Parts: sequence; C-alpha cells; structure tokens
Amino acid sequence: MSRALERAGTWVGWAFFADLGSALALTFGYMFSRPVTMQYPDKEKWVPYSRYRGHHFLKRDEAGEIKCVACELCARICPCDCIEVVPYEDENGKRHPSKFEIDTARCLFCGLCEDACPADAIALGQQYEFSSFSSRDLVIGRDDLLAKPGKAATGGSVVAAQLNTEKIVLVETKEPRGYNWWRNIRRT
Amino acid sequence: MELIVALGLIVLKVALLIAILLLLPLPLTWLERKIAGHMQQRMGPMRVGWHGLLQPVADGIKLLTKEDHIPAEADRFLFKLAPILALAPPFVVFVAIPFGESVSVLGNEITLYVSNMNVALLFIFAVIGIEVYGVIFGGWAANSKYAVLGSLRTCAQMISYEIPMGFAVIGVVMLAQSMSLIDIVRAQADVWNVVYQPVGFFVFFVAGLAEAQRIPFDLAEAEGDLGAGFHTEYSGIRFAFFMVSEYVIMVLVSVLVVILFFGGWNGILLPLPPLLWFALKVAFFVYVFMWFRFTFPRYRYDQLMAIGWKVLLPLSLANIIITGIVLS
Ligand code: SF4
Ligand code: SF4
Repeated sequence: MSRALERAGTWVGWAFFADLGSALALTFGYMFSRPVTMQYPDKEKWVPYSRYRGHHFLKRDEAGEIKCVACELCARICPCDCIEVVPYEDENGKRHPSKFEIDTARCLFCGLCEDACPADAIALGQQYEFSSFSSRDLVIGRDDLLAKPGKAATGGSVVAAQLNTEKIVLVETKEPRGYNWWRNIRRT
Repeated sequence: MELIVALGLIVLKVALLIAILLLLPLPLTWLERKIAGHMQQRMGPMRVGWHGLLQPVADGIKLLTKEDHIPAEADRFLFKLAPILALAPPFVVFVAIPFGESVSVLGNEITLYVSNMNVALLFIFAVIGIEVYGVIFGGWAANSKYAVLGSLRTCAQMISYEIPMGFAVIGVVMLAQSMSLIDIVRAQADVWNVVYQPVGFFVFFVAGLAEAQRIPFDLAEAEGDLGAGFHTEYSGIRFAFFMVSEYVIMVLVSVLVVILFFGGWNGILLPLPPLLWFALKVAFFVYVFMWFRFTFPRYRYDQLMAIGWKVLLPLSLANIIITGIVLS
C-alpha cells in the first residue's frame, strides 16, 4: 500500500515537474553562493607548501661562501641533462663552480639534484612565476641562482597579490595557515 | 506634410528598434556568462573592464576582425545567404510587436509600436518560420557532417514544435477575440491569460524554448556532440550573425510569452510605468531562459520529437477544445 502510494507520489511529482523544479532550485541556490575561483594573478596568489618544487636556488654557508663544491653529482643524476657545472679551485684550495647553469626550460622539476647533492647546496624553492618569451632566458646562471629566493618560512596559503611583471616577488605570509580548498564549496 | 511626418516617425522607430536589437546581444552575452559562472561557482568574465563588462565589446571586435572563412567544398551562395536568412526574420518580427500603448512626447501621442496589424500573430509565426531556413541552409551549405546533422535535427525539431506552438496561442486568440497583439494585451487588463490558460502557457513556453534553440532543446548546435552544430564552419562576422539572431529570438520568445500570457505592459500591485513593467517581465523570462540553460541537460532528438507529438500536441488540442467549451 505504502509503496503504491509512493509510486503514485512519484508520478504526481513527474506530472508537475518536481524533478526539474528541484534542479532549478539547486542552481538558483548556487547562483548566490560564493565562487571558488582563485583570481590568479589579478587578486590572489598561491604560496605553495614548502615541499613544492619550484625554481632552483643555490645556498651559501654562514661565511657567505657558496656551498656548492662542484662535484657535478647533480649534473650526473639529472635525468634531463640540464645542469652544467664547471669547477675551479680558489686560493684556499677549495673547489667551487665557476659556471653553474641550469636550463629550466628542459628541467622537469624532479628534485633529484637536490637529493643527490652531498653539500646540501642546491634546492628547489617555491617560486613558480618565471615564464619567458625566449627559451634562452630560461638558462639560469650561477649568480642568478644564488640570488633566487629560498624557501619561504611558511607556505600553503592564498594571499592578496597583484600581477607584477616588473620584478620577481615571492610573497611571504604572516600567519602559517593552510588553505582550505573546500571553504566555499557547499556541502549538501 | 502629415504623411512625411508619419513616415519619418516610422523610420525613426524602426531605426531605434534595430539599434536596440543589435546592441542587446552585448549585455545579454555578458549576463549569460556571468549567470553561467555563478551557477557553477565561477566568476565568469572578470578581466576586461569592471567585472568583465567590456568583454562583449572585446568579443565583438574579435569577431569582426577575424578571418571570414568559407570552406572549399561549401555551396558559396547558400553559405553566404544563410546568416542573413537567420538574422533578418527576428528583426522583421519586431515590427509587429507592441511595447506599450503610447507615450506623449511634446504633446504628440507616439505609439510604442511600429504597426498595429490585425493579424500580428499570424505574421509573427509566418516570418519566424523563415529563420529556420537560415539554420537549415547554413548546415547544408557548409558541407560538413556536423553541420548537416545539426540542420537535420533542426528540421525534425521545427516540425515537432511549430504546430503545438501555433495551437497553444489559439486559446489566447479565442479569449481576446482578436489576433492583434495590442487587443490581446488589452484583454488582459484585469486578469492575465496565464490564469485562464496555464496549459497554453506551458505548451507555448516549452515550444518557445525549442524555437529559440536553447537548452534543453538546442539540438541544432549541441556543442557536446556536434562540434557547434549548424554553424560549425562559420567564423567571423557570419558567425556573429547567427549569435545575434539566437539572442534576438530569445528576447522575442520572452516578449511573446509576456504579451500573450503575462499581461504585456499591464502591471500588478506596483504602479510602475507600463514600459518598465514590460521590460521587467521580459527580463525575467530572459533570465529563466539562461537559468534553464545552466540547469538542464539536453534532450535527445527522439525525445524532443516524442515531447512535441505525444505531449505538447495533445495538450494544446485539449486546451483549444476546453477553452471553446468554457467560452461557449
Ligand atoms: S630538478 Fe631534476 S631535471 Fe631539474 S635540474 Fe634537478 S635533477 Fe635536473
Ligand atoms: S650543487 Fe651539489 S651536487 Fe651539484 S655540483 Fe654543487 S655540490 Fe655537487
């Protein structure tokens, strides 16, 4: 009996387009929910987590000397063959790279160079905005690599930002808060 | 002298009408993309102008400056004719549409319609039927399988919705005892037709969705399965013609729904100016069209035929008979 009633109810619902009506109500409700769009690069920018593998940078030790000992292990392990290291010996008899070039156009950002390095001299940072009109500009030399920003202390959040094509900006966030991707998604 | 003034007035009205109709798709495309975006929790166009307001202008410039490509295998004459056939009829139809009674400008009464035809409804249905040829020719002339499939579907769609649509308005004509749209609106001064003719409204609205080739009945240009349907091969300004025609028809169907079933410029509750009431109602239906578009999936082609012949046609016939019995 109750099943028959239910069936009848379904038919009545169909006759008056209850299903279409509920769909319309849903989309109408969504129209007034907040959009989830991240307005990159106009308004917001995503600072990736510190595990993110972005642009490489070379580190210096406490004395300000370049950490790299030009062992060329990174160049060896690199699957894309995109690192070129030329060593030299300074007056103290220490090996350092006179030339250190990474062709970021070919790099696949696997992070193997970072893992292979015995001197903890190279790492992949969080910068991801370095597109260029010429692939030549993507070959980054030693001094540029030293000047690149390191890892931000905190990461994984969306910050207010403006598109800035003039200078490279890595935005650091004040509070270490994670980004809740689901913040605006309605859960019904 | 009087003749010249009257003629000048008509020319002025027609020019104004054409200007408005040609510019209307600009805000409508923006609105449609915004509504689509927000219904899908996106923002829609945001970058050109304030909240993307200038996006339609940018798109327009892009369309005008794009290459006007004609496929090598196309039937060149029909290919060029089709966009014009699609664009002109919706504009012509607006000649017969009243937007209100009259306004007085500098002491002269100026009617808010170009012509008060006594067979306006027939005229509208006759002329708007021609628009379908634009779609059919466009698909045929392009000589592409997607386009041909699109126009094939249009043929099937046209024969299944035009008849119920024509029958649906007969109830309204019976109530108003006239085919003139102005008389029909005047007859609704107290009670809107939708109260007496809910079935007629339903049939007309569903058929109108098919007429405007909007989702859920946009089979002719089903992006998902036909590329872009009948206008797959069109580019540049000719493509723009089809788009403008689509939007004008959408407005036209909204206007017809308002005039035939929702009391035209007769307001309720609020004493707003009649023209504003009219515009508000039309805007509401335009919104409903967009709302439907981003809510419903597309009906299959045999389902559309089944709806047209097995549901809408019997409903509209029953509507005529019942209206006739009640009236007599
Ligand atoms: S990240 Fe991988 S591909 Fe890029 S330079 Fe390092 S080892 Fe080579
Ligand atoms: S970066 Fe590390 S692995 Fe590469 S050459 Fe320098 S010390 Fe060796």
